[in-house]
Amino acid sequence: MASVEMASAPGDGRRVVGAGESGRSGGDIACSGLYKWYGDSAVVAGLDLYVAQNQFVCVVGPSGCGKTTLLRMMAGLASIDSGTIAISGRQVNGPLPSVAVVFQHYGLFPWKTVFNNVALPLRASGVAKGEAARRANDALTLVGLNDIGDQYPAQLSGGMKQRVGLARALAIQPEVVLLDEPFAAVDAQTREILQEELLALWSRYQQTAVFVTHSIDEAITLADRVIVMGTKPGRIVDDIEVPIGRPRSVASVRRHESYTPLRERIWDQLRGSSTAGGERG
Amino acid sequence: MAQRVEPQATGAARPGDRHGGVAGVGDKALGAQVREARRRRARRARRRFLAIRLTSLVVVFGAWQLYGMHTIAILFAPITTVLHQGYLLFAHDQLGSQLGYSMWTFVCGYAIGVAVGIVLGMLMGAYRWAEAAVSMYVFALYATPMVALVPIISLWIGFDATAQIVIIALFVTWPMTVTVFHGVRQIDAELMEVSRSLRLNRRQMWVHVLLPGAVPYVITGATQGVAMGLVGVIIAELQTQLSGLGDALQTQSQTYHTAAALAVILLIMVLGVGLRAILGLVQHRAVPWLRIDRGDGAQR
Ligand SMILES: Nc1ncnc2c1ncn2[C@@H]1O[C@H](COP(=O)(O)OP(=O)(O)OP(=O)(O)O)[C@@H](O)[C@H]1O
Ligand SMILES: [Mg+2]
Repeated sequence: MASVEMASAPGDGRRVVGAGESGRSGGDIACSGLYKWYGDSAVVAGLDLYVAQNQFVCVVGPSGCGKTTLLRMMAGLASIDSGTIAISGRQVNGPLPSVAVVFQHYGLFPWKTVFNNVALPLRASGVAKGEAARRANDALTLVGLNDIGDQYPAQLSGGMKQRVGLARALAIQPEVVLLDEPFAAVDAQTREILQEELLALWSRYQQTAVFVTHSIDEAITLADRVIVMGTKPGRIVDDIEVPIGRPRSVASVRRHESYTPLRERIWDQLRGSSTAGGERG
Repeated sequence: MAQRVEPQATGAARPGDRHGGVAGVGDKALGAQVREARRRRARRARRRFLAIRLTSLVVVFGAWQLYGMHTIAILFAPITTVLHQGYLLFAHDQLGSQLGYSMWTFVCGYAIGVAVGIVLGMLMGAYRWAEAAVSMYVFALYATPMVALVPIISLWIGFDATAQIVIIALFVTWPMTVTVFHGVRQIDAELMEVSRSLRLNRRQMWVHVLLPGAVPYVITGATQGVAMGLVGVIIAELQTQLSGLGDALQTQSQTYHTAAALAVILLIMVLGVGLRAILGLVQHRAVPWLRIDRGDGAQR
């Protein structure tokens, strides 16, 4: 309890993650008429999507339908061939300072210690050394890793690496967090623990998030809203509100009465949208 | 509800974590035992390694000794004679100063070669324009035996130490450049994407990503460079003004002092091995993230 409180101690004026309690910290994402071609094939074709402030959106869809492409466009990492994306009203045509990305393979620099990995984006954006150190430590505390700051990524388990990835994303106090299958590379048990932690974090500090996953269960567990994408070309085939209140836990979601119907609906959509696709995780 | 989630977020021991866990007294003792066992295993592995190496040395030098004792002195010499001749060269001839001269030109040429290689390789690896502008010359020179250029270099620069240093540098530069170039290119694409996402500027990109990412390759290149540089030293000394170790080698072998010539060759070998070992130590210090205990008792 104490360490989480420390991160948002009253009077310290700044929080690791923005002011979720007041619901004012996240930005909104407006994608309209998005197109992306690779070679001759349209990977994303005419996609419109609006993500409201502090909404947690999960994107599911068959393999190769363009989820990563969509996320990379939002992150300013892939060019937008046609259409626009605006985050908090700002046009995306390169990585925005208010957007953080959590990568599937963690994206940690092997030559930097855990602490330096988390502090890097802060230092790079000109935050003073002491302040950056404090915020990096706060972010590490938030994911329960404040005591391993001087280890190298190679010394960590997959689950711990992704916690570091999460801490690095949260440390910059982003308005939007984009996550591309962040838990796909860890085992099922660790994955559930990480989901639980993410739920706990989000119930304290809400944040606009787009979370790509292959797992329908994960999507229902985490999301306020599930976007189902279809393939060839990538487009939205269903857009489902998840009527499960917060705070949640993995178990409470599974027990919820709307869980099974939701799961079936998403399954049907995935089956309908692709013959090749399906759930991997 | 909020209270329920607190322990999750505060880093107590969790299942699925290798790390953490509150160790009781029994755990601590067990931990010490495991660590001790691992240390013992590591020590045994090290001892075994040394034992094999020593045996190998004894066998090879023993065979050398035996063969040397049963052949004519003009063709070969036993190791004891070789060592004695080496001592005599140091004590009564100029082998000491010749060694000093060779080391001096080597260090100068090697340093220039490594520095140019790092700069060229990094630029070529990091910037398309640099690759477009110079890579074909680098690869052409890499593929050319540098010996072929020695007469031209002499023509241009002369036969003195400067010419020798340039020749040595040429031997080192191209393999170094190529290794560093490939090293920069092999930096994980995802990490490059991460750096863009973190909005690193050009300077930060170099400091935090490209340079540290290339360090292992720089060291690999520098290690290869030792061998190339030593080839350069001897060729330069034989082909320009006869000097240094090249002089010692030439003089002794042309006067059929085979044992003394072998002593010089042995000295060059020892130099190569020693310099490599020094670079190994540098690598160990410079790349801490690559010598992480993997729990198998072997340190990388
Ligand atoms: N750089 C690229 N060049 C060419 N084609 C690409 C490139 N990146 C992605 N594609 C193609 O675009 C399509 C969508 O890729 P994307 O990675 O967005 O799919 P995804 O939905 O994330 O799939 P997965 O669930 O397997 O991660 C795929 O058919 C892929 O082959
Ligand atoms: Mg993907």
